[in-house]
Amino acid sequence: MNHPKGPILDGSMVDSRIKDEGAGKEQSVLSDIVSFFTSVRTTIVILCCLAIASILGTIIPQNINLEDLRRTASPFYFRIVVILDLHNLYRSWWFIVLLLLLTSNLLGCLLQRLPKIPKEWRGAADKGSVSFHRSDSRPIHEVKGMLTESVSKLMNKNPTVVEGGEATELVWVKHRIFLLGFPLIHIAIIVILVGGLIGLLYGFKGNIQLREGEVGNRFVLYPSGAIATLPFDIAVDSFTLTRYETGQPKEYRSDVVILKDGKEELKGPIRVNQPMTFEGISLYQANYQVVGVKHVRLSVKGVDGAEEEINIRPGESIPLPGGELQIKLASLDPGTTSRGAGVEIDVERAGKQDRVVKVFRNDSDPAKVEDAKIRFLGYEPLYATGLQIGYDPGTVFVWSGCGLLIAGFVIILFTNLSAVSIRLTQGDGRTKIRVHGRSRRDRAQFREQVEATIRESLGKSSSGA
Amino acid sequence: MTSIELITYVTFSYLICAVVYLLACISTEQESGFRSGALGLLIIIWCVHTFAIGLRWVESYQMGIGRAPLSNLYESLVFFSWCIGLGLILVRMKFRTDIVVLIGLPVAFIALASTSLLDPTIKPLIPALQSNWLVAHVVTCFLGYAGFAVSFVAACLYLVSRGFNSLEPYLPNQRLLDEIVYKSILAGFPMLTIGIITGAAWADYAWGSYWSWDPKETWSLITWMVYSMFLHARLARNWKGRRTAALSVVGFGAVLFTYFGVNYLPGLHSYF
Repeated sequence: MNHPKGPILDGSMVDSRIKDEGAGKEQSVLSDIVSFFTSVRTTIVILCCLAIASILGTIIPQNINLEDLRRTASPFYFRIVVILDLHNLYRSWWFIVLLLLLTSNLLGCLLQRLPKIPKEWRGAADKGSVSFHRSDSRPIHEVKGMLTESVSKLMNKNPTVVEGGEATELVWVKHRIFLLGFPLIHIAIIVILVGGLIGLLYGFKGNIQLREGEVGNRFVLYPSGAIATLPFDIAVDSFTLTRYETGQPKEYRSDVVILKDGKEELKGPIRVNQPMTFEGISLYQANYQVVGVKHVRLSVKGVDGAEEEINIRPGESIPLPGGELQIKLASLDPGTTSRGAGVEIDVERAGKQDRVVKVFRNDSDPAKVEDAKIRFLGYEPLYATGLQIGYDPGTVFVWSGCGLLIAGFVIILFTNLSAVSIRLTQGDGRTKIRVHGRSRRDRAQFREQVEATIRESLGKSSSGA
Repeated sequence: MTSIELITYVTFSYLICAVVYLLACISTEQESGFRSGALGLLIIIWCVHTFAIGLRWVESYQMGIGRAPLSNLYESLVFFSWCIGLGLILVRMKFRTDIVVLIGLPVAFIALASTSLLDPTIKPLIPALQSNWLVAHVVTCFLGYAGFAVSFVAACLYLVSRGFNSLEPYLPNQRLLDEIVYKSILAGFPMLTIGIITGAAWADYAWGSYWSWDPKETWSLITWMVYSMFLHARLARNWKGRRTAALSVVGFGAVLFTYFGVNYLPGLHSYF
């Protein structure tokens, strides 16, 4: 795109200002507004403001509790933070105004420059890379034939011929699509910004915590912290955490079922990097918590020497071999001492507490309860999974915009608009030749090529005008 | 030989190559055999560097982990210096300026040498990084960074050439330097754009939000805005020379902060 150097001032507008001061003032205000929205200088200033604002946002803590700030900060600073929404800068009114200004500026620049494209598409060049005149003693049709042949070879295509009265015009245009590159990039940015705005207005984000086995649909909205309800229920069957041998986490996985009015609609795992989407609402694995114990695995050896492995759940009573005593879980130690994870077990006789024993994984000797020997084998934690909830109708726009953006860059980087137009006229018994050419890249090389082609094609019988 | 040892040799080879380049630039004229030899040396070192990265990839498969070597600070620095090496070779081929290579080589060396402070062992990927977007995101971002690094070197040389008249005869022609400042950004900018887009796509896929104003995201956007200001100033307002060179320096400052500075702020990218 050929951007003009300064703010655009229509010549006629300047004239009218001289003639009529009153009307001129109004028009100049109008033209100031127009030039504000169509000037690249404005774009640069807005980008600069956005950059500075974004830097501020990474320095000032975001999404903090305002009450804490009121207590710790000076009243003046607190007022500024509240008025300018500095704790929520990227969603503040003035940041959105800046984004809207950028959008309208881009739109203004586009609208101003788009009308020029059809003309350039047809081959008109307002800014040439090469321009010269020659004249030739041979008749016009002969010159036309020679030039058509040689320039077509250079441009690798045939010309469009325009015969208008006395003049004949030959036009070669290559890689016209280049002209669409810059508008495409700017349209893309507008589409992305619009998508962002739609997401901001109509989308939501939140978090839901569900225990294994729990069904729920109420979640916490981000960033407001308000409670909202999903249009469906999420039932968490299980949460699994697998680790590498080094102990680093390998996979977080929630197996869930989506229920609508009690009917199963969708079932499957949710992993990090593998979300689940239902009715446009996506669920992502965000975090997890250990909230309890599912069961504890113990090995019990009776007097007869037979070893039995039992799973005991919290609240459950299990009889020991012999049948007189029963055991019940009292508490779990997830492994805070060198003895490893372990449990405290209440031993009951006829429903009354008899004694308390402790068994740990790393104990060399089993705990003895009368004739029974109890070993601790392990436990299965009860998890609560934290799922992030996201709904954003703007993403379609954002991704289309990104696609257009990449297409625009590809066009600009891999195509090169070049054009040659030759105008032949008859005058003073000679054929007059006017050559215009332009190229978006490697201009010097292109100029040399065009000049050499014309020179060689016409030979010595022509002369520079 | 393991890839880690190989990288250590490559690191010092870059330093040696810089010395060879210095000697070549001092002792001989443009287009001499010595200078071409220095370029040949650089290309060989860069090929070994490429091989070392490939070897690390293979090693990770042999260890049963199997992942692209692009997922911690050690690996990203190795890859960053690889990109700088590539950028320098391309600039040397296109613009025939040895000085830009001479100044750029120590940058590649320092980036590589700083990996000796980091843990180089191959570790399995944490769940957040287990994604096919990883390679596309990291590669495009770093190719962009490399373009900006080359532009930065040329911009510094340009500013030195303008600021100290006595040095001007020893430096490349100012118009050429200005051209390199611009062309490298022209190459880097689409790469950074695609890097940001792939990052956003990945974030949307993994965390359900294509943009969360995480410090790294924000700083990459700031970098993007600085370079888009550069391009608009240059293309639409005909800024040239000192002012665009200054913008290139500011832009590279933003790149460095995006890469290193942000690590001191909490966020999704804290493992980089």
